[in-house]
Amino acid sequence: MRDIIRILIAPLVWLATFSAIYGLHGLLCGHGINGTAFGLPIERVLLGAAFLFAILLQTALLFALYHPSLAASSEFSRFVSRATGWVGLVATLWSLSPVVLTTYCV
Amino acid sequence: MNALGRHRKLTAIWASEPGFKGWFSTVNHTDLGRMFLATAFFFFFIGGLLAMLIRAQLATPHSAFAGPDIYNQIFTMHGTIMMFLFAIPTFEGLAVYLLPKMLGTRDLAFPRLTAYGFWCYAFGGSMMLVSMVFGIAPDGGWFMYPPLSGAIHSPGINTDFWLIGITFVEISAIAAAVEITVSILKYRAPGMSLDKMPIFAWYALITALMILTGFPPLILGSILLEVERAFGFPFFQAELGGDSLLWQHLFWLFGHPEVYIIFLPAAGVISTVLPVMCRTPLLGYGWIVAAALALAFLSFGLWVHHMFTTGIPHMGLAFFSAASTLVAVPTGMQIFAWIGTMWKGRPELHLPMLHLLGFFFTFVIGGLTGVMVAVVPFDWQAHDTAFITAHLHYVLFGGFVFPIFAGIYYWMPHFTGRKRFFYLGEFAFALVFIGFHVTFLAMHWVGLLGQRRRISTYAPEDGWTAINLISSVGSFVLAIGIAMILIDVFLHALTASRGRRNPWRAGTLEWAMITPAPAYNFASLPHVTDRNPLTIEPDLAVQLAKGEGYLGTPRNTWRETLTVEVASGKPDMHVIYPANTRLPILMSAVTGIFFLSLLLKFYWTVPVAVVGVAILAWKWVWSIGRQDDMDTVPVGQDIHLPNFAMTDRPPGWWGSVFLLTANATLFGSLLFGFAFLWTVAPGWPPPDWFPPSVSALALGIIGAGLGPIAMRYATQKNRNGGTPLASLALTLAGAVLVAVACAAMMVHTPAPTRHAYAATLFVLGSYGLFHAALGILMVCFLIARVRCGFTSSARRAEFPIVRLWIDYLSVVSVLILVVAHLPGLMG
Repeated sequence: MRDIIRILIAPLVWLATFSAIYGLHGLLCGHGINGTAFGLPIERVLLGAAFLFAILLQTALLFALYHPSLAASSEFSRFVSRATGWVGLVATLWSLSPVVLTTYCV
Repeated sequence: MNALGRHRKLTAIWASEPGFKGWFSTVNHTDLGRMFLATAFFFFFIGGLLAMLIRAQLATPHSAFAGPDIYNQIFTMHGTIMMFLFAIPTFEGLAVYLLPKMLGTRDLAFPRLTAYGFWCYAFGGSMMLVSMVFGIAPDGGWFMYPPLSGAIHSPGINTDFWLIGITFVEISAIAAAVEITVSILKYRAPGMSLDKMPIFAWYALITALMILTGFPPLILGSILLEVERAFGFPFFQAELGGDSLLWQHLFWLFGHPEVYIIFLPAAGVISTVLPVMCRTPLLGYGWIVAAALALAFLSFGLWVHHMFTTGIPHMGLAFFSAASTLVAVPTGMQIFAWIGTMWKGRPELHLPMLHLLGFFFTFVIGGLTGVMVAVVPFDWQAHDTAFITAHLHYVLFGGFVFPIFAGIYYWMPHFTGRKRFFYLGEFAFALVFIGFHVTFLAMHWVGLLGQRRRISTYAPEDGWTAINLISSVGSFVLAIGIAMILIDVFLHALTASRGRRNPWRAGTLEWAMITPAPAYNFASLPHVTDRNPLTIEPDLAVQLAKGEGYLGTPRNTWRETLTVEVASGKPDMHVIYPANTRLPILMSAVTGIFFLSLLLKFYWTVPVAVVGVAILAWKWVWSIGRQDDMDTVPVGQDIHLPNFAMTDRPPGWWGSVFLLTANATLFGSLLFGFAFLWTVAPGWPPPDWFPPSVSALALGIIGAGLGPIAMRYATQKNRNGGTPLASLALTLAGAVLVAVACAAMMVHTPAPTRHAYAATLFVLGSYGLFHAALGILMVCFLIARVRCGFTSSARRAEFPIVRLWIDYLSVVSVLILVVAHLPGLMG
């Protein structure tokens, strides 16, 4: 069962962070939260921080999946879990990139 | 015992009742798989007829063939039947029939559940057909958007048929998904580690997990909309704090993954059939598994691309547009792996291969138009036009129907034990291929010229007449082709001569048996050392028939099999299956009374049906287990295994884990809906807030804490040989406290018809109360089992199952009570 978890964990975390950031975006726009931090609008800062957190989380997972003490013992599970680890990271970078590329509440 | 004697003995143990009566009591996966497939294709036939009526109507402008009211029913039922009553059940039927054979075992994990699922599907589907016969079929489109489908704009019973009928049918999908998931993870031949699983099993596993997480949002949406229609709870009414967009979110949270739930099993068929047709192993097995997993997950991040025109902010659109383009990558990887397999091998143009080529051509076009509509500006132009209808048919017909036809022809010798002699199929394929592309290429074109979806007619001056006529002619060619395929299959099944075993020289285990398959599948179970066992051991079938594998000697009248560890494939449990019974059909009939009572508003029969289901469920579970300890069982090859009743992780525990996964998704969707309405819906804040109560909250939290702690203590006590009754009584008390807290919450909620806030709280309270009642029932059951001697320190399997449900109750009840009380307590 641990091998199945290793295989599923990175895409699951992507799904969770993707939904959470979409939800955060909804909350920020729905409740009209505004202000500035570090010279930037607070919405952009919060969304950017969440994006960065998601990337760091995926990077840490990928690192864990490559680490000898945490990686799967069977070659097949190791390969598939690392492949889905990369899927998680790439999906995070690509699907959440609008956080830094587009307007947020228009 | 010689092979013939073994065959006779096993047949006597495993066979269904002979004749017509056997249909109602069979729990055998081979029979039920065939029944699923036959019923699904019956619905396909009906759905196809409706498609012909649609095209007859649109063939000419100002057509008087059908009025708008009937036309609305026709296109709604066409979509509904094809999606819910054909595509998903076809996957279920194929998986139910094939998986135990491919995995090298004798049946699925829960044979009675397979039968229950089938009868729920048959009864629910029949309910929908009856509505059509009486002219009161659903007419709001297969996605039933409110406010059109609300009680104000659709006051008749039509929409209720959809909401209640589909929910009934989806019990079948959830049952099959639990069944398939547990079977693939646990019920495999010894030695079949994850890397040796047949590729179809990987696809089926991923699809089943998607059903478990994709269907609950729609089930929730259907419940909420039906409750709104029946009792006036305003979940989707903007003026009372609801929002019709909530339905779209819930529907498409299901609806987009649904596309992949349909495609992935077909991709499993392609990955199985193509290498055999090309006489080479599948290229990139590991990559394909990873790509299918990626596709499954990404598909849950796309739902808003069906809502690009609903006024969502640009960043929200961009998230889903980006995710939508990303799915092309794992899809492309699979396509390239298949092309590579063809390149590496020597393709032979048998009939299944023709359908696979039809798939490639059609699905790639559908995929490319999919990328087009993933781009927001293009989608704004094409949204709700016939272009989208054409796109989805390219994806679904190309990505499902062609591969399924390939699969049907590929496994036909297995279903019947006969070989084709009447070559109608090749000609039929040509008609289907030509007819399909004429129909839907034309539809792309007319969509780009501005023809909206779902219109019942148009004017000559719109300039769409010739294209629609071409499309309709194409559709009739397509229909003739499909009719010829059905005739070909019937002729094959009824008249063809006996064929030899494994006519395709395939390597997977389903061909290591006599055909048509015997009720027990394998006379003895194989030990698997390769992904294509028959390729390295061509005489494996003979060895298994001689009883040289596991469980080769029939014992008593036991229907025996064994399970394995999930990753390694090492044997870990001995299982005895239940025998033929009419309990599943009876229970689905009583379940049907529950749904029918809701539909016809005979509310006084609802509790009767609920009690009936509870009694039957009690009887169902009571028949499992033993009243004496059992030694480890010799299963062959010098291996002894414990019976499942004497383990901590019995099959029921695994089934509960995945059923609770679906349940948790439904609960999560309900919380999402609450947060969505609170954040986005107009008409907030509500006129009355829930009056918080520290004592009610504390009572519930104490109950939620007491249950799991006492249940753990009961488990430990039983394991140490003591009596767990006192701890179980405490667990019961915990569940009762939770029930009281949830009931109090429902009583004190402001009138749920006045605002969506109160309506949602009421539903949350009901959810908690229902699970508390379930927990009470389960603990009472366990107490009865302890008292009747069904448990001992060795026979402990039932404790972890109940513990799982009590833990779940604890978590959800705390969340529910906090959601209700905390905002008020914080001021």
